[in-house]
Amino acid sequence: MSGLRIALPNGALLADACSLLEAAGIASLDPSSFARSLRVMDRGNDYVMLRPTDVPVYVELGACQCGIVGKDILWETERECYELVDLGFGTCRLVLAALEDSPLAAGEWPVSLRIATKYPRTTRRFLQRIGVEAELIKLHGSVELAPATGLADAVCDLTATGQTLRANHLVVVADAGTSTARLIANQAALKTRDTAINELAGALRRAVGSGVVPTGAM
Amino acid sequence: MNSGSTAGRGRASGFSDWLGGTAARRQDLAAAFVNAFQAWGYDLVATPLVETLETVAVGVGAPQQAQLFRFVDSDGTLLALVGERTVSVARAVAGQLQGAPFPLRLCYAGPVLRNAPLLGGRRRESLQAGCELIGHGGLTADAECIALAAAALERGGVEGAHVDVGHADFVPGLLESAGLPPETQERVRNALTHRDLVAVEAALQGTEIAEAERRLLLAFPTLRGGREILDTAAAGLGGERPRRALADLATLWDVLEGYGISTRIHLDLGAVRDWDYYTGVIFEVFSAKSGFPLGNGGRYDSLLGRFGFDAPAAGFVLHVDRCLGSVAAAEPAGSGGSVVRITWSPGSHHQAVQCARRMRDAGIAASCDLEPSEAFSAGASVHVDGTRARWGADGASAEGSYEAAVAAILEATR
Repeated sequence: MSGLRIALPNGALLADACSLLEAAGIASLDPSSFARSLRVMDRGNDYVMLRPTDVPVYVELGACQCGIVGKDILWETERECYELVDLGFGTCRLVLAALEDSPLAAGEWPVSLRIATKYPRTTRRFLQRIGVEAELIKLHGSVELAPATGLADAVCDLTATGQTLRANHLVVVADAGTSTARLIANQAALKTRDTAINELAGALRRAVGSGVVPTGAM
Repeated sequence: MNSGSTAGRGRASGFSDWLGGTAARRQDLAAAFVNAFQAWGYDLVATPLVETLETVAVGVGAPQQAQLFRFVDSDGTLLALVGERTVSVARAVAGQLQGAPFPLRLCYAGPVLRNAPLLGGRRRESLQAGCELIGHGGLTADAECIALAAAALERGGVEGAHVDVGHADFVPGLLESAGLPPETQERVRNALTHRDLVAVEAALQGTEIAEAERRLLLAFPTLRGGREILDTAAAGLGGERPRRALADLATLWDVLEGYGISTRIHLDLGAVRDWDYYTGVIFEVFSAKSGFPLGNGGRYDSLLGRFGFDAPAAGFVLHVDRCLGSVAAAEPAGSGGSVVRITWSPGSHHQAVQCARRMRDAGIAASCDLEPSEAFSAGASVHVDGTRARWGADGASAEGSYEAAVAAILEATR
């Protein structure tokens, strides 16, 4: 119908993104649609499946007009895109967490604090907001091991259910924000392809409002 | 090739080399823009690449200042490489052109730099061509800027461009007249400048705001269209400030119809700005081929006053590099085009240089070999042996005087 190129994130958000597009009557896709090719045409739109961190890059630079991506990714990549609709699924919290028997867990902030995180930019902004000085250590995975091994005093990480935190004896010290999936759009495309994008945003908004897609399953 | 030892000798990140004809196309496009500006009576000026940080700070807010390349002069003065040139032109006018006949029409073209975070695909140096119309506060001046931007893009061969026109006072006026507390107004403005419409909705949730204002604020991406959207927007709107902004846009639309370009204009009430000196009509240029705006501009009535010379002004800038992608395929001729090669027999260098000079005088680009040879290369070339020349292209060749060679090549290139 509308001839848009739309970026979808692989991984945790893909299934819900496909369900929502289906519920909105825009596409009939599911994760297996991308098993053979990362690019699928469906009802006149061109869907590409990307790593979540690449979704805002494709959209900012105009290779895709729209994309679906978690707010956490938008915090960290600092790309300039329009954020049009809160899609309501993929809910998770970014939290500062420390070992349950640590002074920090008891509310005592150490003079020199080391925090391990996969999200250094977001963490830096959060710490500035609450007025805390800290040394950040950028990691690429398994952040929850950092406190137990003595690498850091705390972690700043995403959690959906809190299960990983509990399994590693970590407790939440502070909340840095809540993330859900968003519909984003390129700034020029929003002007040059406004009819198609507003139709897409409107259909997704209605589908979110009707609650057809289960939210926050992870 | 030499490996390892050249690390660090590459190009700085976020900067580009323009090679293989692209530099010529870029320069030609900037020249086409400046030609259009001059045809509308705008006088070309050049301002420096460097300004003191104090000067830049007069027009540019702290977040944008943080995105400048800054350094220190030998006497300790903080300097910056300019990130835009409107502030420089305003400084020059306020300081040196107060006696000029107004309205004053000035144009410029030059590089600007932004020390933006290193993110792939974003350039930190760009070529901008712009105009400033100083000393007139009426909507005819705003309309002239918009029409000239469109005319310059047309002259440059930029296809499919259209202009989105909004008003810098509409959203602040709307927020104020809606009776929102100042901190909520700030949150909404902040969310809009960050293009975060989800946050706009969140900020408005649970606030006591009239239905007409709420509807407008939530409908931002759809608040675009022709003159009819002004009536839709005005319906039920109580505040004086937003109504005045809408009335300005209605008048502007009528003026633009006189230029015959209203088919390429969209009114856009949700327009968002990066630089914060704009006070009235604002606009951005878009084309379907670019993910970024090709140009932007607007009215900035308070900027010159901050340099001690109170005068209304409007202007705009075109981003030459972004426009390049929307220019129809370049013709092979021009500065990136063919060059006649002149070869020469031993002892005939003087004659070859003379022959090359005659070519150039006749308007043919010619390059003279640096070593003698009997080579007669394919394509347009001339071989000089004493007072005789041999020339040809595509296998055919002829012999005669230099004049005959020049005439033959002129004929062939026609």
